Amino acid sequence: MAAGGEPKKVKSAIPPKTMIAFGLIGGLIGVYAGHFLSDMFGPVLSFFGALGAICAIVWGADTVRRVCSYGIGTGVPSIGMLAIGIGIVAALFGLAVGGIAGPIIAVIVATILGLIIGLLGNRLMKMGVPIMETATAEIAAAGTITIIGISTAMAGTFEITGIIDNVIANGFIAVVFIVGAIAILHPFNANLGPDEKQDRTLSVAFIDGSIAMILAGIVVAGVSLASAVPAILIGLAIWLFAFAKYLGYVKRDAYKVVGTGLLPTEEELS
Amino acid sequence: MIDYVGLMADNLLYLLLIVVGGLLVAIGVHFVPVGGAPAAMGQATGVGTGTVQLAAGAGLTGLVTAAAVMRVADDMLLVIASGMVGAMIMIGSTMLVGNFMYIYGVGVTPASGKVKYDPITKDRQDLYLSQGTEGHGVPTSCYISGIIGGGLGGLGGAMVYFALLSVTNATTALNVIGLASILAVAIFFINAVIASYNIGGTTEGFIDPKFKRVPKAIVASIVVTFLSAIMSIIIIGGI
Amino acid sequence: MDPLIGMGVLALMGAAAVIAGISEDSESNVGSQSNPNSQVQLAPQMMYPHRIFNKAISGEPPSNALMCAIGGTTAAILMDALGMSALFSITIGAFVAALAHGSYSTMSFFGRPTSQSRFKQPVYMDILRGHISPIMAYAFVTTFSIVIISYIMISVLNHPFPLALLAFIWGTAVGAIGSSTGDVHYGAERQYQNTEYGSGVNAAQSGNIVRNGEAGLRNGIDNSWFCIKFGGPATGLAFGMTVFLSGWITMVFDPSISQMIAWASVIAGLLIVLVLIIFNRMIEVSSRKSYGPYKADNDEVTA
Repeated sequence: MAAGGEPKKVKSAIPPKTMIAFGLIGGLIGVYAGHFLSDMFGPVLSFFGALGAICAIVWGADTVRRVCSYGIGTGVPSIGMLAIGIGIVAALFGLAVGGIAGPIIAVIVATILGLIIGLLGNRLMKMGVPIMETATAEIAAAGTITIIGISTAMAGTFEITGIIDNVIANGFIAVVFIVGAIAILHPFNANLGPDEKQDRTLSVAFIDGSIAMILAGIVVAGVSLASAVPAILIGLAIWLFAFAKYLGYVKRDAYKVVGTGLLPTEEELS
Repeated sequence: MIDYVGLMADNLLYLLLIVVGGLLVAIGVHFVPVGGAPAAMGQATGVGTGTVQLAAGAGLTGLVTAAAVMRVADDMLLVIASGMVGAMIMIGSTMLVGNFMYIYGVGVTPASGKVKYDPITKDRQDLYLSQGTEGHGVPTSCYISGIIGGGLGGLGGAMVYFALLSVTNATTALNVIGLASILAVAIFFINAVIASYNIGGTTEGFIDPKFKRVPKAIVASIVVTFLSAIMSIIIIGGI
Repeated sequence: MDPLIGMGVLALMGAAAVIAGISEDSESNVGSQSNPNSQVQLAPQMMYPHRIFNKAISGEPPSNALMCAIGGTTAAILMDALGMSALFSITIGAFVAALAHGSYSTMSFFGRPTSQSRFKQPVYMDILRGHISPIMAYAFVTTFSIVIISYIMISVLNHPFPLALLAFIWGTAVGAIGSSTGDVHYGAERQYQNTEYGSGVNAAQSGNIVRNGEAGLRNGIDNSWFCIKFGGPATGLAFGMTVFLSGWITMVFDPSISQMIAWASVIAGLLIVLVLIIFNRMIEVSSRKSYGPYKADNDEVTA
């Protein structure tokens, strides 16, 4: 689906470095806050993990828009699936061996795996995408934080035993997998086109992140019913706020937003 | 602290099986005739969808069959054969009904744009291309290629699942099934995307010139699956 | 399990799978998703603005996997944590999935045309209002059927995978099948009814999709009206075949009885694949006979 116009380097109002810092630091703070606050005050505060995941999702979506504007030949979705595929392996590995440093180890492992796949893609398979190496590493890291963040919000902890009991053994990891993948790939895919704008794309990332948060809220009801309430309510609030923002951007950027009407006339088009 | 060396030594066979399984997935994707967006418009030969997605659909269907068999039998050959058959049935039904679409819905004959004669049926192909297209539908060679590809995908996915489930561990069966299944899915997707990068998203199967790029995907797949396999074994063996 | 009861269970799963396939294809036609959507995307660039919903969530497999996984997860939580009955849980789960799917669809509807503002593609709000409810309704039916299949596999056939994971896998499969089969009817035929029947879409025609309907301007609901006549049922057939046949071989030749019977199930599966190959060859030959070549064979004249 290379219907996005000619490959080019996209304009970004917010530079990539800021996005990396936002995703990495915001994501890790969220994950740790979700873990420790749940430890102290119960799983009712686990939603911080989902907030961390939203930071990572926004970062991942921004990376997708940078790399996919070059046209990677296989469509936008595949790179999101790759990110989450690496993310699952790296996240579980980090949490299994790292204990309290788990999330950090997971991110490092994911970055290395992503770099290797990017290198193989560009050097061995000659994909010829200039930022493939760093972008794959970034996407893998973002996917990893997303998975750890949502899982923490679902389980109230990121200790591997807690994650296995509350997220993996009952299969909810599947929803973490796919909701994370879609949240990373959907914002750019939904806004693909020559007049794509960073702020509009990223507002969709917030919306998709809020859906992941609501889902985390539904699942954490299995741990304790009351703890579902804050996650779902905050998720809905983020959804509403981000949607209002997005609608504003759409009205700003669209050729015109009309209630109904005929197609533009010949004179209008020329 | 986990004894990593001991864990690896105990599970060396399974490590090997995971790498082979991942490799089979990557090779299998090269066989699946997928034409991407143009194929959905009858402009290119193959199934009108994405490589990763069709391979995933077939391979995961195989995984479901393999898991059902593995519940009652622990013979590895049987499990992976079941995975292969499940995936073959899925991709076979899909391509057959896909051809229904091209023949009865669009009114075209399945034909390949990459070869003049179908290597299996010896049928002339180039005369059956409608104007301005590079082929349409799934001719017999592509169909058989797709069956092989789907089968390899199911075989590989089931092999990874079997190996992960057999890793020595100290936890309940339910936990291991959860971990093994999602890690198998993850390793499947990683390999499918790598293979898809290698062929640039579309192929006609083994009759396509792009098929010669397989060795590159093999190298990439071995490197990445090997790393993933070590980590997966540590995850399952460590808990 | 009694083999006859097993067959009944399998028949129920097959029926649910057919429904899931039909609704999956209709959902992707109302909203225009996956590969044919590339033409909806391309049209304004070629000076053909249109009134068709542009639902570019992702390919169909991930987006269907997502809604089925959401449905399965919600249903599992309602059953396990709240002790609700399976039917209510699955219904509510499918409802939650439909809501989430509506959100993803809305974002794509706004996003893609807005990113084409230089080609003067307007964003029609009535298209969103008219299309989002059928999209969500079809998403509900698909999710409901898929979660039912997964639930039956676990509760009756004792499949080891958890509900959410099984729903995710079947969602991926139905999406892959829908985008491989039913979408061709939409992409190669419905979008290009202005070209002659009986040929693929000439690459020079790309983007020149039909924009006028039977009455007024064509929209996605008109497209689903057409595709439900062939593309939808065929998708249902393909997914039904997949679920039914892959279950049938282990149901008739139950691997839990003995090793021999387990291998018999593998052989039965391979025979089915062989039949599929032969069937495919037969329709290929018949189409070559009845349609004939497009060009005369010049080689033999020159030789």
